[in-house]
Amino acid sequence: MTQGNGNRSRLLLVILIVTALFFITLDLRGVSLTKGSRTVSQTLLAPVQKTVSSVFSPIGRFFNDVANFGNTKSEINRLKSENSALKSALVTNSDIAAQLKQLKGVLDLAGRGQYKVVAARVIGRGTSSSFSQTITIDVGSADGVSNNMTVASEHGLVGLVKSVTRSSSIVLLMNDPTFKVGIKITRSQSVGVLSGQGNDIYTLVLLDPAGTIRVGDSLVTNGSELNRPFVPGVPIGQVTSVVNSSSALTQTATVKAYTNLNDLGVVSVVVGAPKTAPTVPIVPTPIPTVTVLVTPTPIPTISGSPTPGGAASPTPVVPQSTPAPVATSNKKK
Amino acid sequence: MSPSRILSTILFLFLVFAVQESAVSLIHFPVTGFSLYVAVAISLIASEDNNGSLVMGFLSGIVLDLSPTSNSPFGQWALVFTVIGYLFAVNKESIADFTSSPITFVLLVAVGTSAAFALDLGFGALLGEENGSIKHDLIIALGNGLWTIIFAPIFLPGLRYVRRFSLTPKER
Repeated sequence: MTQGNGNRSRLLLVILIVTALFFITLDLRGVSLTKGSRTVSQTLLAPVQKTVSSVFSPIGRFFNDVANFGNTKSEINRLKSENSALKSALVTNSDIAAQLKQLKGVLDLAGRGQYKVVAARVIGRGTSSSFSQTITIDVGSADGVSNNMTVASEHGLVGLVKSVTRSSSIVLLMNDPTFKVGIKITRSQSVGVLSGQGNDIYTLVLLDPAGTIRVGDSLVTNGSELNRPFVPGVPIGQVTSVVNSSSALTQTATVKAYTNLNDLGVVSVVVGAPKTAPTVPIVPTPIPTVTVLVTPTPIPTISGSPTPGGAASPTPVVPQSTPAPVATSNKKK
Repeated sequence: MSPSRILSTILFLFLVFAVQESAVSLIHFPVTGFSLYVAVAISLIASEDNNGSLVMGFLSGIVLDLSPTSNSPFGQWALVFTVIGYLFAVNKESIADFTSSPITFVLLVAVGTSAAFALDLGFGALLGEENGSIKHDLIIALGNGLWTIIFAPIFLPGLRYVRRFSLTPKER
């Protein structure tokens, strides 16, 4: 660098750094100009993301399937194109079927928890240009979604709504390092705080000094005041290991979430919570099993004369009074 | 840098940003994600002269700051990329013109990508951000660098062509 050029570069560097720091200061002070710019970019990006997402997911699978056609070179062109078209339709159908399955699970969970939900499709994942863990969904304020609402999948908690535009919302995933949720252990009803670590491991800190955590304990959300940001009773995960430290006041544990955050296609935003917290903990079992309860009946007596072969010919005696009909119920696991 | 070039660069960066946010981010890369935008921005910064690196760094940072999913304060990426631009401007003189050696260029872009993430982590820590465990964050920073080594040879020729196309006759 020559002397003049070097001075100019240094001056430019200082100006740019001061400008960047100015923006940071404005943002940290909550100036709406900087917040608004992100909302505008989200509004502009949402339609693109919707389009790309709907096109990209079947096409991605389609190319995987097409790659398997390498050993069918001898096929005539007509069959090839027909096969490709059929494959494309199949991939599209299987994609829709997978999304429907997830939607069914989501609605099943919402029904058991008596939550009023809005189903949403995941149209984008958090950028890899930051350390935050987010997804973008295709419902927004026009669908009744607003900030700080619980988002769940068919298996349980996913996160909470971070920001909303008219037609899309950004969801802060539960594995984000800034994410914290109040939980309740279903076995002991002890409460604690679960926090994300940026990966698949979650840390649970129990608030009750006398409480205990056991491996296998199921966790549900404890719920927040006025159900914001968390409604009560949403399944979260299971304790996988307990950390026992003599220096710690309370127990801590690591938790495995029920929801696989890498495999989200359809989620639901809880827009209305039940008036009372679910009395029975909801654990993620999408298909309810039918249990038949049978009341014992009197033991039948056997009467009859011996047969020539020596064996008794049993004559069943029908009980005089048949007990009340069998009780059938849908038992939740 | 001429005003028209600044404008065309911003438009190009927006395009890459849209591709990153809507398509690349949907792909699950093993180990960690790959940020096409950061890799492209670092490549552009590395291709510029001293003042150009600084301006390009600042502009690309501002565009990234618009990311709706970012949890950093607005301006943090601008600060990070300006510092990266400065580092490239300073080291360009000591390394000589690395843009003529493709392998060196790719390696420097990869190092720049990892350094950008590490700087973002550092500035974030100074500003009180929670970014999870250091180990996990370092894996993200290094993983992005590794993916950049793999993908940079694919997109760099096209990127150099686009850049040459945007240069004014005087700059050529």
